[in-house]
Amino acid sequence: MMWRAWLRPLTWLAVLLLATVGMSWLAPLFHWLQPDTRTVVYNRQDFLYLLWLHVELVFASGLAAALTAMIAGILVTRPGGRDFLPLASQIASIGQTFPPVAVLALSVPALGFGAAPTLVALGLYGLLPVLRNTLVGLDGISPTVLEAAKGMGMSPWQILFRIELPLASRVILAGVRTSVTINIATAAIGSTIGARTLGDPIIAGLINGNTAFVLQGAILIGLLALTTDSLFEAIQRRLDVRRGQSSVV
Amino acid sequence: MRLRGFHRVIPVLAGLALILVWALDFAGVQPNRIVPATGFPLLSAIGGGLSAFYLVGLALLIILPSLPWRMPVVKTIRTVIDVLAILLLAGLPLSLAHFSRLHLSPDQPFARVEVGAGFWCLLFFLLLIMIEVLRDKGTWRRLMTAAVVLVVWFYDVRTGALDALSLIREYHNRSDQFATVLEQHLALSLGSVGVSLVVSFFLAVAMTRRPRWQRPVFALVNFVQTIPSLALFGLLIAPLSYLSAHSTLLRDLGIRGIGWAPAALALVAYSLLPMVRNTFVALTEIPADLLEAGRGMGMSESQLFRQIKWPLALPVIIEGVRVTTIQAIGLTAVAALIGAGGLGTFIFQGLGQAAMDLVLLGALPTIGLALLADLLFSWLARHWRVIPEITS
Repeated sequence: MMWRAWLRPLTWLAVLLLATVGMSWLAPLFHWLQPDTRTVVYNRQDFLYLLWLHVELVFASGLAAALTAMIAGILVTRPGGRDFLPLASQIASIGQTFPPVAVLALSVPALGFGAAPTLVALGLYGLLPVLRNTLVGLDGISPTVLEAAKGMGMSPWQILFRIELPLASRVILAGVRTSVTINIATAAIGSTIGARTLGDPIIAGLINGNTAFVLQGAILIGLLALTTDSLFEAIQRRLDVRRGQSSVV
Repeated sequence: MRLRGFHRVIPVLAGLALILVWALDFAGVQPNRIVPATGFPLLSAIGGGLSAFYLVGLALLIILPSLPWRMPVVKTIRTVIDVLAILLLAGLPLSLAHFSRLHLSPDQPFARVEVGAGFWCLLFFLLLIMIEVLRDKGTWRRLMTAAVVLVVWFYDVRTGALDALSLIREYHNRSDQFATVLEQHLALSLGSVGVSLVVSFFLAVAMTRRPRWQRPVFALVNFVQTIPSLALFGLLIAPLSYLSAHSTLLRDLGIRGIGWAPAALALVAYSLLPMVRNTFVALTEIPADLLEAGRGMGMSESQLFRQIKWPLALPVIIEGVRVTTIQAIGLTAVAALIGAGGLGTFIFQGLGQAAMDLVLLGALPTIGLALLADLLFSWLARHWRVIPEITS
């Protein structure tokens, strides 16, 4: 029963890795698609290396964003930081209306070209869904539960780690999922500002009119997104199962 | 009694603004479009008088809310803080106009004023202060405040005092192109939202009639939403160029592998998830007791629909339109990469030529459109909420 939850992400991962390593095996197909071109498989960089860079970029920015947003979300829901709660939730909701491409583009005048502005833009943008969901999750806990915990003599730290965060974990995880999904897409566009990602073949293909390159990049990015999404799905399932067993609430 | 609510938030924001506006370059002069600018810190940038206005203003925003005011004075102090925040925000373009008077000489016709990091930080924190100030005010007050600030800004632009500003130079150089690009952007994003609204409505109605369809339809639209935009655009290019190469009809319609066709297809596909979800929820999750009560009053099915179901569903559907429109405005900017036009053309051209003003000319209006759509549809949703709250 246990392993079946992971079957789907593992399958997608296998397909992704197979496609990354074996893209050149499909060369005849791409030749048929692009008959007049000599190079039909993107060869300026190894696909596996680009995949690694893409994942690294999303993971680093996602981790930083999730941690910062959760800490901020926890701080503004403590008695000492409550003054900042309305502002924080306003920032989270207004910020999410900013299109990710525009944020990415604005980071260039501020930070120049390359991986650094992409990382910063992804990190800043990734903060918002996690912050919003952390606030929703922590604020949505019924006061009676907190009262009961206090009545049992739990310290504020215990209440935070044993009651509030576990209860909010599902909502927070959903925020992380949204943030990572957006960032995988935005990192691909990061190719236009000089970050090395799986978007490179697409951009190169669009510039040179090489549909095969575009297709290769698109397939790999799509598979990466599906792998990540199914991974989050599986984690959420596991969390629900554990929740059901322990019946804390 | 202290000023409730914002007695700590505004001083913190104003303090950060004070530090950053002092430490970073306020604005710079660019000899021409591509050469990097020489920056000036606040004092040398806008002179003693205006600097003092901003420094003292921010200092007051730190001090005033922190003092323990007594009851009758509190109201006056709150008004002072409101007015001060509006003055500081509305005066920002004047500071740039003053900067160009001080630092640009008429013998450099190509020189332009570049807005510095200090200015951006000041703008950002003043906007946050504004949000905090307007938090407990009514819609009318908020609209009035926004209108006052925007009218002052617009007036400054109209008088030509800001013509040396790099962004405005860039706009004047391509005002015709800007109109075209804006039109393309609106047509593509709003057109896709419109199409997906119609499709989603029929899908949602079909799903309420045939529950078997729910799972596959939601699985499909979820799947599409997971695929990153650049990848979906890319995946559509190959089949569309194949079709267009083999069908003269499609070619005559202007459908090709790149251009508006794959962009519109992808945008409609992306728009389906938020739209179908909200429309479906709107049509199905109507409190049973309300329908019971309606039937009890002797309403016919069509009366039930017109007087109960539809008014309850409308705000939820509009919320779906809001989310979809914001998303579509952003994705249309990406679609410029596959030749669909729109504001993204400026963004990616600017990135290609390392011309940052062009990037801004594309990116800032894109954000503006998204914010505008957000405001408009949130207002509509609130306006048409017949019953204040649905308790289920």
